[in-house]
Amino acid sequence: MIALKLAFRNLLGAGLRTWLNVTVLSFAFVVIIFYNGMLNGWDRQGKRDTQAWEVGQGQLWHPTYDKYDVFSIQDAHGLMETREKQLAVEGKLTPILIAQGTAYPEGRMQGVLLKGIDPEQKILKIPSHLLKQTATAADDATATDGATEVDVHYAIDVHHAIIGKRMAKSLKVGEGDQMLIRWRDKNGTFDALEVKIVAVFKSDVPSIDNGQMYLSLQTLQQMMDMPGEATILVSGTEEINGNLGNWVFKDLDFLFTELDEIILSKRAGSMIMQSTLLLIALLAIFDTQILSIFRRQKEIGTYIALGMTRAQVVGIFTVEGGAHSILAALVGAVYGIPLFMWLAAKGITFGVDDMGITMAETIFPYYSLGLIAFTTLFVIAAATIVSYIPARRISKMNPTDALRGKVN
Amino acid sequence: MFKFILKGLLRDKRRSLLPVIVVSIGVFLTVFMSGWLTGVFKDMIDVNANFTTGHVKIMTRSYAENENQIPNDLALTGVDSLMSELNSRYPEMEWVARIHFGGLIDIPDEQGETRAQGQAVGMGIDLFDNSLEAERMNIPSSVVKGRIPSISGEALISDDFAEKFNVAVGDEMTLFGSTMNGAMMFQTYTISGTVRFGAAMLDRGAVIVDIEDAREAMDMQDAAGEILGYSKEGLYDDEQVSVIKESFNSAFTNPDDEFSPVMLRLRDQQGLDEYLALSESISFMMMLIFVLAMSIVLWNTGLLGGLRRYTEYGIRLALGEEKSQIYKTMLYEALLIGLIGSVIGTALGLSAAWYLQTYGLDFGDMMANSTMMMPQVFRAYISPRLFYIGFIPGTFAMVLGTALAGFAIYKRKTAKLFKELEV
Amino acid sequence: MKTIITIIALLVGLTGNAQDAKTILQKVDDNMSSKNRVFESTMVIHGKRNSRTITSRSYSEGEKQSFTEYLSPAREQGTKMLKVNDQLWIYSPSTDRTIQISGHMLRQSVMGSDLSYEDMMEDRKLTEVYEPKVTGEETIEGRKAYVLELTALVSDLAYHKRKMWIDTERFVPVKEELYAKSGQLLKQTTLSDVQQIQGRWFPTSIVFKDMLKDGKGTEFKMTNIKFNQDIPAYIFTKAALKK
Repeated sequence: MIALKLAFRNLLGAGLRTWLNVTVLSFAFVVIIFYNGMLNGWDRQGKRDTQAWEVGQGQLWHPTYDKYDVFSIQDAHGLMETREKQLAVEGKLTPILIAQGTAYPEGRMQGVLLKGIDPEQKILKIPSHLLKQTATAADDATATDGATEVDVHYAIDVHHAIIGKRMAKSLKVGEGDQMLIRWRDKNGTFDALEVKIVAVFKSDVPSIDNGQMYLSLQTLQQMMDMPGEATILVSGTEEINGNLGNWVFKDLDFLFTELDEIILSKRAGSMIMQSTLLLIALLAIFDTQILSIFRRQKEIGTYIALGMTRAQVVGIFTVEGGAHSILAALVGAVYGIPLFMWLAAKGITFGVDDMGITMAETIFPYYSLGLIAFTTLFVIAAATIVSYIPARRISKMNPTDALRGKVN
Repeated sequence: MFKFILKGLLRDKRRSLLPVIVVSIGVFLTVFMSGWLTGVFKDMIDVNANFTTGHVKIMTRSYAENENQIPNDLALTGVDSLMSELNSRYPEMEWVARIHFGGLIDIPDEQGETRAQGQAVGMGIDLFDNSLEAERMNIPSSVVKGRIPSISGEALISDDFAEKFNVAVGDEMTLFGSTMNGAMMFQTYTISGTVRFGAAMLDRGAVIVDIEDAREAMDMQDAAGEILGYSKEGLYDDEQVSVIKESFNSAFTNPDDEFSPVMLRLRDQQGLDEYLALSESISFMMMLIFVLAMSIVLWNTGLLGGLRRYTEYGIRLALGEEKSQIYKTMLYEALLIGLIGSVIGTALGLSAAWYLQTYGLDFGDMMANSTMMMPQVFRAYISPRLFYIGFIPGTFAMVLGTALAGFAIYKRKTAKLFKELEV
Repeated sequence: MKTIITIIALLVGLTGNAQDAKTILQKVDDNMSSKNRVFESTMVIHGKRNSRTITSRSYSEGEKQSFTEYLSPAREQGTKMLKVNDQLWIYSPSTDRTIQISGHMLRQSVMGSDLSYEDMMEDRKLTEVYEPKVTGEETIEGRKAYVLELTALVSDLAYHKRKMWIDTERFVPVKEELYAKSGQLLKQTTLSDVQQIQGRWFPTSIVFKDMLKDGKGTEFKMTNIKFNQDIPAYIFTKAALKK
């Protein structure tokens, strides 16, 4: 304890030199915490958004569903069994039916992935409630026998559809625009309808936006002649953690793979930068230590003359050098904490929303206790090691020479 | 006088060696860091530039509109003359033609009938005359079995596909699809090897052939889906390509002809504008912090250097040297040390950056089984900036630190000096 | 005079209506289909940039089997296409390969035309899969025609509804429109140059047009049409592809 007190007194006595070292080391602190905090924030937000918009608590896939193969989509659909239906009613999962189609906005032609989503669903943030349409004719049709039920979708003149902002950009359409879509039902029969874009939603998750158009689940089921069928089921509860009948469960780890990879790659890329910054700060401490030991030979000699072992003296100097890091943590905290708090509250707006990866426009850095504790310990350890290396020289000093300040 | 100081520095290792080492290391770190930062952002951009966008990309106007459908019927024609025009007008860029195509990969049985079929994600690139192209597409390190095609009639196919359908290197495969004119395309290739890119879409059914083979197959003589331009200096320079884009489009693009060529910058494609802006600002901020930190450290070194020689200055004062004279020599020394350190540091930094530019740092193990096209090997990049950036903290900060430390000389009382000399 | 014509027309119209739609369709079937037929054809495909002309010789036996050999242009020469029941093979002489077309590939366009492989695969008689209804009578290109509306009887048809204009005298279709289930017009076929061949009327020129796509459509002209020939059975085997 005395060593530490002494160390601080010595450091503070050195004035500007100490503060320069401390400032640089505090930069390293703040930058490391900030950068990792930002990546953590991105990671958390990205996962939260992916969950909110796309994967819920996991997905159950039809065994033949393959999101990279648009052609297999036509076969990847199956009936929901009683249990799945029950879970859907309870709001624990929501089915999505996926089919291929072609859109003709203003005479242009573009392939689209049609997705049927339940307007009542609450699991995903996709504003599916806007797809609810009350057509009197449709009600009549459902009211009568089951045979006409299939054709309910014709009872509505123009079907509501929603798309994401990226799709809106690529189709060159906006809210209120209408277009013809053409598709083939499960038998291969051509069908075409006019749809109206009732909303363009904004999501940070490009994978639920690019090339996709959302229709009401029931509409798409009727369009495809696949009543009660779905391609994937999105789970809204952690209770579902395994396959359900034929439906293959995909857990969050699997569904987050891409995001994890991007962030891992960013971390890897930034690791060098962080360590170099730290190295610079450590270089300053190293330099300072060498000078201290050189200039304070008499002091060292005195300590030894007073009966301290050399190891103890090495200890004193090591602690003194290492104490830079504690001061740096304090200085870093003085400007870092308000800065971090401000950033965490306000977020960092990159103005980037279309890089093709899940990334919020504004990222709110997330500083976990673990990150701060780890960084602090790491920097302290590094500073101490760097202080120890030049201090080792002390153990080789001849105390009488040291006392006279004659060590070279 | 410089000579005198230099001599002093050389003879007295204590007053020169450590500061030079510190400055060198500091400058080394700064230079290296700068190269690394440029490299990492460049890597991210390069993946896009190399695979899809080029530094600039030329397509026909209507091809550009429907690019994701790979509409080869709308491809550029008269490519040979366009290419030579490009080469003479813009020799600072390297121009390459590429063809993307879809279709079916069809593997025959012994009777020559379909044994296995799959969707092809095809690319025709210049494999034979331009070795850089394969490199750009990261093909050499993506080859799993066999080798890159070396003669016409050979193709690389997706390793996943080959595994799934039990296709071996040396087997034949037929590409079936349609030509530029909509006619049927049949072309048989010998499989020279298999590739795995770590990108899910490509790994389903990649087919890579030489561009001339692709032209032959698709009846695209003198045509290409796109022409990409890469700066010969290697780095995407927005100003440079903006000028080229401007000049090209005003000369070649005809708003009334949907088949006239149009040039897009990397920036204009795939949301890269935002990415570039982002990486530029982050890299600028990081560099700023870095140079600032380094300057502080070297300032400190200057201070330390002054302190180290406290006694010496005392003696010199005692001998009757003028304070201003001592101060001047101190500054000159600092300048020399700073310069020497900066030169050594820059040299070291450049070599380290060069090493990482050439060999890179492989994070592949960390990112095994990647499903995306992402750089796995990070590289530094030697930009012109590296040659001078180290001198800012190395020389300037060093001198500044010494200058500040030197004020102490003026504050010293001669009487006190003698006391210190009693030792 | 005019009124008389109108009355006659009306009478014809009425008798037309009275005439069973099925009978009309049957007559068309009888007229158009034969045991087999051989013809040469020229297909003009209008692409976005240029037009191409492809000539071929086709043999067909009933509705289930057909064999086509492409004669020109040079690139296509010798390419053969064989359809037997629901299978389709294409043979290319340059690569000596026979490729089977299946699944989603069947939905692709044939040589950039407005026809898909699948369109060429449909081999059931209209009377088997559609329920016809006469809805009126119109004059097309100076010929009087019944307007028939055909609604699918089975579910696995590409087009749920068709509208056909049948020449009232010759019992050949002169125009056809193909509709989506919803009633959206998708494709249109115009048939002309009706000639009498071996005692039957036959339209020798057909224009296919995808109504959702810009473009001029695909023209199809048949020459040297011969019915009920002796076509050797091996023509409809895979071995014939390589000949």
